Amino acid sequence: MVRKADLTVVGRDQPRLDGAARLTGRAEFTDDVRLPGMLHAKVVRSPLPRARVVNVDTSAARRLPGVRAVVTREDAPQLAVGLHQPLFDTTVNYIGQEVAAVAALDEATAAEAAALVRVEYEPLPAITDFEAALVEGAAQLHPKAPGNVAWELAEVHGDPERAFAESAFQREDVYYTNPSHNCYAEFHVAVADYTAGGRLTVWTPSQSALLFQKALAAGFGLSEGQVRMMTLHTGGGFTGRSAVRPHHFVAALLSRKAGRPVKLRAVADEEFIMCRAGGRSRYRFRSGLGADGRLKVVEADLAFDSGAYVESQMILTTLTKSYLHLLYRLEATRYRGRLVCTNNLPYYFHHGGGLAQMQFGWGQHLDALARDAGLDPVEFHLLNAVGKGHTTMSGAHFASCGLAECITKAARQAGWGRKYGRLPKYRGIGIGIGAMASGAKGVFRHDTSAAFIKIAEDGTMSLFTGLPDMGQSSHTAMAIIAAEVLGARPVDITVISGDTDVAPLDVGAFSQRGTFNTGNAVIAAASDARAQLAKVAAERFGVKIAQVVFRDRQVWPKGAPGQAIALKQLVHDTLHSREGRYVMGRGFYNSPKASGTMAYSFGAQVAEVSVDPETGVVTVERVVAAHDVGRALNPRIVEGQIDGQVFSGLSQALYEEVLMEDGQALNPSRLDYRLPRSFEMPAVEHIIVESNDPYGPFGAKEVGEGPIVCTMQAIANAVAHAIGVPVTEMPMTPSRVLRAMAERREPPAGDPPLRHLLRGRRLR
Amino acid sequence: MKRHIIRLTVNGDTHELAVAPNATLVEVIRDRLGLTGTKRGCTSGACGVCTINDEEGRALLSCLTLAVAWDGCSLTTIEGVAEGGRLHPLQQAFWELGAVQCGYCTPGLVMTARALLLGNPQADAPAIDEALAGTLCRCTGHIKVKQAVASAVARVAADHVAATPESGNDGAQG
Ligand code: FES
Ligand code: FES
Repeated sequence: MVRKADLTVVGRDQPRLDGAARLTGRAEFTDDVRLPGMLHAKVVRSPLPRARVVNVDTSAARRLPGVRAVVTREDAPQLAVGLHQPLFDTTVNYIGQEVAAVAALDEATAAEAAALVRVEYEPLPAITDFEAALVEGAAQLHPKAPGNVAWELAEVHGDPERAFAESAFQREDVYYTNPSHNCYAEFHVAVADYTAGGRLTVWTPSQSALLFQKALAAGFGLSEGQVRMMTLHTGGGFTGRSAVRPHHFVAALLSRKAGRPVKLRAVADEEFIMCRAGGRSRYRFRSGLGADGRLKVVEADLAFDSGAYVESQMILTTLTKSYLHLLYRLEATRYRGRLVCTNNLPYYFHHGGGLAQMQFGWGQHLDALARDAGLDPVEFHLLNAVGKGHTTMSGAHFASCGLAECITKAARQAGWGRKYGRLPKYRGIGIGIGAMASGAKGVFRHDTSAAFIKIAEDGTMSLFTGLPDMGQSSHTAMAIIAAEVLGARPVDITVISGDTDVAPLDVGAFSQRGTFNTGNAVIAAASDARAQLAKVAAERFGVKIAQVVFRDRQVWPKGAPGQAIALKQLVHDTLHSREGRYVMGRGFYNSPKASGTMAYSFGAQVAEVSVDPETGVVTVERVVAAHDVGRALNPRIVEGQIDGQVFSGLSQALYEEVLMEDGQALNPSRLDYRLPRSFEMPAVEHIIVESNDPYGPFGAKEVGEGPIVCTMQAIANAVAHAIGVPVTEMPMTPSRVLRAMAERREPPAGDPPLRHLLRGRRLR
Repeated sequence: MKRHIIRLTVNGDTHELAVAPNATLVEVIRDRLGLTGTKRGCTSGACGVCTINDEEGRALLSCLTLAVAWDGCSLTTIEGVAEGGRLHPLQQAFWELGAVQCGYCTPGLVMTARALLLGNPQADAPAIDEALAGTLCRCTGHIKVKQAVASAVARVAADHVAATPESGNDGAQG
């Protein structure tokens, strides 16, 4: 276990190492790539939600001057995107689906050529409401989805029926979330260069070069080594850039045909078609609580509109299934998750990975159950929260856990005791709690991250990693870790990443595995380099290798700092030794568990809101966020991660919705798809809890997605508290809030909304 | 399409360019001049990532602006903000205070904030809020961005005081 007092780099504010590049316009993003002879692509897209493609006539497009390649299904009869979706399918199944594509000398010519492609369609009846698709007798949309259920996952732990029978209180609630859009600042874009020798290079924003490399290699019948992924600066990830999408295949196919590099970027509303965020989803929960206030059993039945094709959305069910076990000590669970086939675009999930969205419902459901039993929600959470050393029924083990501390601290700072049930009318306070796994074992048999480090004669270092930095400052975090091990400064370390020809393997920056897995790999690589240096230092000082201390760019024998030599002197001496040793460290990390991960982060947030009873507008006045991140490697950056997630959670809770009508997005633009503006964002108060995880790098766990799982439920509970009735559908737009208020029966108007609570029997 | 010859000064460099009448400034700046620090997002005025400054230091959405309309004008892009190898106080504050995450919105935010500072050197919190409202930042939740702009306002004011001997005066000579 690492003591904080022993750390010299970890835990201090380090501005991100690439800050100057990002602030001066020098940071290169994919749309900034310009290759010699590069062409520009445009995709021909289906205007219908479901139709047979009878004929595609590209002759006029091909004749247009400046056009260099046109591709249709004939160019790629076998190519498939993910599990079920052939590229350029013979039956289109959503509005915007690719039918053909062109590459031309400039974008305007490409657009003109795309408009010249004549497609003859035979319209087929479409189903765009996922609940209608589930109705008995509904037309089957996909050969691989009987009953329009493309995938189902069910699991039972313990004896749910007995647990319900023994419950003193139980309730059942249903919640919905609506279609969303990741809304990254950087639009979808890819540059592909398929050279004659059979080598494909693709520049694109990505959370995992490895997954892209594998999928593209499989699609084009190449070996993985023949596919080179280039991840430049990436304008946001938000769980939406972890898998290859049709446009990556289209760009590569056009490049192969034209023999030239091709850029394909989303223009205007295409951004909403190329994106794979959340679809409309239904969450039914039933839970039972014992007379002692202990939560005994939870049943979750979830149905997700996964749109026209299953690419790899099964992960949604795996994640939500595991999540049921992470927060409370339970006797039994029952889970069912279904992916439902419709004629909407293939949905995936939005920021929060499906878990934050599930928590919008689950958090409200349990809040209501607690209130039924006369329990204060904070009291309820504390009574039931998991703790350090707990092993769940599903086999997850918590070697560190600061959940109770987060709940207590957030509630105290927010003034919960003074406010809950006591605020003026139309003002409310609510709590949300959450957990998040650090790691992605299960995507592959391994969950490996590897790292190299080389040390130049002047003591500066290059750290090579395959982990992308989409903005979360992970590269700086890796430099901090290496610097701590080697007694160096982060600014002396250049992080080299983004090119699969150079970078060592890394599963990627998703499922919150970066800090934990890659961080541990960097510790291993830096320790390897340090061991090489320590050997030389030990000889020089006449001490054992383990006695050599590396700190503040100095090296000395333990207990004798007076004998210190400069780190760079030691590096120099090592190189100029008789053997001419050059220092290169290498290391990797893979979770020793067969499945699941070694560490989980925890958190609690308390939101305070006011609701305008005339307009239904919800204003979030304040959010207190307490998060157990294990160890804050870079505290100000950790705060920034929390801020961004509170923003995104608030945004999804109150604003974000792609309005759909018969498979058509009605508001596919940055103007009409609303996000909070700067003045709509409340102050966020951070409480960082450091549980010092025994397996984490210097005790650290993830902070990239744990916070967002708390936000939506905290706000939803605060709204319910303010208006005395839950809003069961997200986003909680003014009209939904007004409707909920209009349907309110209990308690009568004029009374404090949760009066019955004050009379409730206090358990414990 | 008939081309027009225009003369455009960007970050002090003057260029003579033949441009289509429908070419926007963002296209010319990025594709013709290779200044890719100015970002391209919605290209419809909704996200602010393409913001640059005009001669008077006002914020301009380069995706909505036709290049031919700026013939003979002088513009500043993100590449022209740091002077003499020194970061502008805004850039410094953004960096130190963690207001940069993915960085895609950052050039637009810096140019928006620079316009604010030039037009309203005493900008207070509501003025900062208003100025930043047109830029979408998905990563930061705006919080540290607002702090950085406020800190830059203070730094510039302090520098101004330090650089002006008669700082008790109304600053008319500054
Ligand atoms: S690109 Fe100009 S405002 Fe979005
Ligand atoms: S830093 Fe990513 S959008 Fe602003």
